[in-house]
Amino acid sequence: MPPYIVDTNNGTSVEDFQIREKLLAKLKKRFTTYGYKQIRTSTFEYYDMYSTVKGTVNKDDMIKVIDSSGKVLVLRPDVTIPITRMAAVSKQDSLRLFYVLDIFRQSIEQADTKENTQAGIEYFGENTSENNAEVLMLAIHTLKDLKLPNFKIEIGHAGFFKALIAEASLSQTEMDQLLALIQSKNIAEIELFLSELSINNDVKRAIQSIPMLYGNPTDVIRQAEEIILNEEMQLLLENLREVYEVLKNYGAEDSIVFNLGLINHMNYYSGIIFQGFADSVGKPVLMGGRYDNLGKQYGAAVPAIGFAFDVDLLLHALTRQEAFPDQAPSADMIIYYEKEKQKNALTTAFRLRSEGYQVLTFLTGTTNTIDSKSAIHYENNQNVLIHNNEKRTFTNFTELYENILQFGKGDM
Amino acid sequence: MSYITLALAKGRTAKSSISLLKNIDIHFPGFHEESRKLVFYDKEEKIKLVFVKAVDVPTYVEKGAADIGIVGKDNILESQADVYEMLDLKLGKCKFVVAGKSQQLEEKQKLTIASKYPVIAIKHFQKKGQSIETVKLNGSVELAPLIGLADYIVDIVETGNTINENGLTIIEEIEDISTRLIVNKASFATKSENIRQFINSLKSGLE
Repeated sequence: MPPYIVDTNNGTSVEDFQIREKLLAKLKKRFTTYGYKQIRTSTFEYYDMYSTVKGTVNKDDMIKVIDSSGKVLVLRPDVTIPITRMAAVSKQDSLRLFYVLDIFRQSIEQADTKENTQAGIEYFGENTSENNAEVLMLAIHTLKDLKLPNFKIEIGHAGFFKALIAEASLSQTEMDQLLALIQSKNIAEIELFLSELSINNDVKRAIQSIPMLYGNPTDVIRQAEEIILNEEMQLLLENLREVYEVLKNYGAEDSIVFNLGLINHMNYYSGIIFQGFADSVGKPVLMGGRYDNLGKQYGAAVPAIGFAFDVDLLLHALTRQEAFPDQAPSADMIIYYEKEKQKNALTTAFRLRSEGYQVLTFLTGTTNTIDSKSAIHYENNQNVLIHNNEKRTFTNFTELYENILQFGKGDM
Repeated sequence: MSYITLALAKGRTAKSSISLLKNIDIHFPGFHEESRKLVFYDKEEKIKLVFVKAVDVPTYVEKGAADIGIVGKDNILESQADVYEMLDLKLGKCKFVVAGKSQQLEEKQKLTIASKYPVIAIKHFQKKGQSIETVKLNGSVELAPLIGLADYIVDIVETGNTINENGLTIIEEIEDISTRLIVNKASFATKSENIRQFINSLKSGLE
């Protein structure tokens, strides 16, 4: 048989999986404390659901499958869209949902990673600065939990640039070119590009300054005020300022910067957009934003904001910074027993496991390399509990359990 | 304070980039071009310089192994790296061109193009609506049309001498090339102060 390497994805070893689960547990716990409930969506979705919605996932990137009736399905390339459809159908107000799910995409550039885990939240609620700031705070709070030093959330606004660019009438090709230049903050070429277009000088000046509207929110807002060209821009900038004020009341202003040149490639975002960066990871570990118009495509206007962590990148960041403590021993206690005392030993194991301890049992004389916090020996003439080199004998389970509890207190 | 990692492309622009840095008072004492060393620190230990192959610079920066990079636009375009391209250092100026034996492009269903830069070749001809097949070569690209490996070539030229000496003519100019300063998007957020300071002083050094 040829040697196939099916999955080059990290995280398939036992150790990696434990680290991953620990990380996911932290994320889930934090999401829960902000009132979010976990859900899942189907792995298979209809291709049409994604292909008919404007500005979602690149059609070529989706992994397609054909079912027995000839319909084209895709492996879940995104979670936000199915959840939004669900929310639009249910017509519930103020829904807070989170998920930890794999998404599947393929691209020529990244042929070896088709599978990616996302942990994200969606909040279906009104576009108010309090709601927006709360979601941002949840992202910041989660990053703080993970103890990633020096992380930053970049906040921008999808509508601000749209309102500006509406002042210049550009063709689709020109628009695409300009977006690429702004995304790469390529000021030299933006200047050159604009000089060949016949648009108003104020508009040109405004577009040119967009990429460098970056940094401390107060500074950015002041600079942005100078390039306001219409009422909508004024209004949106005011929204951003309000969000910043609420974040200050959370005491989170150190974790954020404004980046008005932030233009996300997912076109469905309509309002505030943001991404999170951590030290020594080249790509954003989290992305999100407000998408009030997506629900309309499924028949109901449901204002919503959400974000997702790229779990694999987070793991990468954490292992790089060695933020994970040493692995815990694989068992709390090991019971060694003589064949004659098997019944006693196995009953004890059952009762200890019911109490939540991790217990392994071996016949006396079995060699193993598993380390544990304590050991229990059922020998022919006596029963011994050993914990940190301290020995105690016992005659029945009640005595044993009292000793275990005492040792447990000593460990605290 | 943490330092910034700068990836510098080996090759024709390395020397002028280093002297540009000298102008703004950033010196790498151990650096000379024949050195086999790949990592250098500046005197104040604010910048760690890694000396890598030009085509790899965008990769180092995109992945965050380096915070900033100094490299030719040709390599940035070819790699399609998702980075900030914040300064034109105006060094190593040259052009991307289409060249061949004839004065203009043949009207053919499909053209065969030899190049060190297949991505750029594909993009250019896609814009014109011409379908092409690319042959990726790593050097002496001018040879390809002469021995029938390809119809035309896409390559960078400084003066055009190599092209002319091999009996080829420049048919189209695609884009101007020069050395650029690129920045990792995450580093720009997390090391904002240091990087912006570096860019500003480099900018003033250019004027």
